[in-house]
Amino acid sequence: MEKRLHTDYKKKISIIAFLGIAAALLSFFCLFAGSSHMSPGECLAALLQKSTAANNRIIWNIRIPRVLAALIAGAGLSVSGLIMQTNLNNPMASPSTLGVSNAAVFGANLSIIAFSGGFLSTGNNLTNYGAGANPYSASLMAFAFSVLSILLILALCRMRDFSPNVVVLAGIAVGSVWTAATTVLQFYATDVGLSAAVIWNFGDLGRATYRTNFIMLAAVVCGLFFFSLMSWKYNALLGGDAAARSMGVSVGPLRFFSMLFASVITAVCVSFLGIIGFVGIICPHVTKKLLGQDHRFGIPASALGGSLLLLAADTLSRSMGNGSALPVGAITSLLGAPFFLAIIFSGKENRRC
Amino acid sequence: MLKIENMRFRYGKRAAPVLRGVSLELKAGEIGIVLGKNGSGKTTLFKNILGIVSPDSGTLEFNGADLTGMSPKERARSIAYVPQDIRFGALSVMNSVLLGRISYFGLRAGPEDYAAAERVLRDMGLEDFAHRNVEELSGGERQKIAIARALAQEPELMIFDEPTGNLDIANEHLILKEAKRLAREKNIGILSSLHDLNQAMDFGDRFFFMKEGVVKYSVTAEGMTEEVINDIFDTCVRIITVEGRRIVLNEALV
Repeated sequence: MEKRLHTDYKKKISIIAFLGIAAALLSFFCLFAGSSHMSPGECLAALLQKSTAANNRIIWNIRIPRVLAALIAGAGLSVSGLIMQTNLNNPMASPSTLGVSNAAVFGANLSIIAFSGGFLSTGNNLTNYGAGANPYSASLMAFAFSVLSILLILALCRMRDFSPNVVVLAGIAVGSVWTAATTVLQFYATDVGLSAAVIWNFGDLGRATYRTNFIMLAAVVCGLFFFSLMSWKYNALLGGDAAARSMGVSVGPLRFFSMLFASVITAVCVSFLGIIGFVGIICPHVTKKLLGQDHRFGIPASALGGSLLLLAADTLSRSMGNGSALPVGAITSLLGAPFFLAIIFSGKENRRC
Repeated sequence: MLKIENMRFRYGKRAAPVLRGVSLELKAGEIGIVLGKNGSGKTTLFKNILGIVSPDSGTLEFNGADLTGMSPKERARSIAYVPQDIRFGALSVMNSVLLGRISYFGLRAGPEDYAAAERVLRDMGLEDFAHRNVEELSGGERQKIAIARALAQEPELMIFDEPTGNLDIANEHLILKEAKRLAREKNIGILSSLHDLNQAMDFGDRFFFMKEGVVKYSVTAEGMTEEVINDIFDTCVRIITVEGRRIVLNEALV
């Protein structure tokens, strides 16, 4: 029995290691892709700070922060999705189930349209980079409203013991309030304000800086640490609330903190980068197909899978946009959805365990 | 072992009471069967014992200690649960049984937890299943894994909610026989709801008949009379004796 167990675990660990190596390799190669037509040799030289000042800047101030943002946000959004799906016992739950994205959009729109946050840059557009008066004000407002939304829903759901259906429905209801408020705001916006607001909504990794990356990293690392510790409890939760409770799991507090951490990770990522959809749905489902639902393996695998997907999508968006990157949020869905469908409809249901 | 006195419970302040003063007592190692119509409060009684909900009033004692004051962890080491709808997720049988050890290991399963899970699987003759995906197993097999998980909790009492609800006739008998064997071997008490009165008579030591939120009769097999059954279920069943065994004939056969 012991030996079989060993080989089972080995297989899973090697899949995770493969994902890790793939993400590392892809990160490296992504440094060579971009709109500035640098040759691979120049990129390598710039990486060692031995190219022209402009090239050094492109690699160190633009490409590396961008790759790091993809790695961090991809991992965070994907794991948040997995945690939401497990905790709400709902395969369609996403990192934004608590209305986080809608609230973030409202906050950013409020800042841009009403308070002239001035975030007019699409981020990756070099000539216009930094044209915004203060890009942080939109992010700050987005984050403030996301947290407000999270706390509101969690407080409401406390009254119903965090029953999964109540949480999902409350998330939809509160989310739609933010969306409606955003619509009203946009209706009264000037053309410039409106376009700036809409552009903010497009997920864009070009907005990342070392500082924003560091904040995202802190949130993601704390979340991953907590989620990993709770792996067995999440496994118990797959059997339903009553069963988990009878095995000694305090379901209410577990669900509260899990959703809080997952939502805060999402709020941080969305506030800095805009909406990046689908990563939180596709990656957890793909890893489930590959590895089964054991969270001890599902959490690291989802994290690496998310990094990989977002990195690939961003590279593609930079290569396709002919100078200015396409919104990465659109690419994740364009790239992810067909792949996702293929995985859902191929082979037998849940053979792995 | 388990002593409940005058327990009352309602779902929410404005809802009608479901339990209106339940009292029952189960001795260590005894198999108690809770019988009653749908909606008589059986599942709610179990939820109160398991701590999924808390009673509004009354006492709930386990080996003399107040059950409502116990932490979920403590409770899980004393009382295990085999729910009616058994779900696991895409886990291996081994990992599913290990879940029964969470109240002991907390965050990470250690070698002694793996050993305990293996022991249970061996006791039940399921060691060949250890690496299968639970979701691929049949209803009867899954039921066995749920019992194995409950046994891994090393409880003194196991609660079964309609253990035969999703099984065919052959598996019904097998599961009950197996559960009884294990309970007797390890001196674990069982509190179970069951629909089939004949199976109940075969399986149980003591019978709690519930009606309208109270335990109206608490009897042994001899006390299961036509009058009691007909009063509880509002039926007109008959009991006949065939080859020394008492058999309940339901209305359709009378």
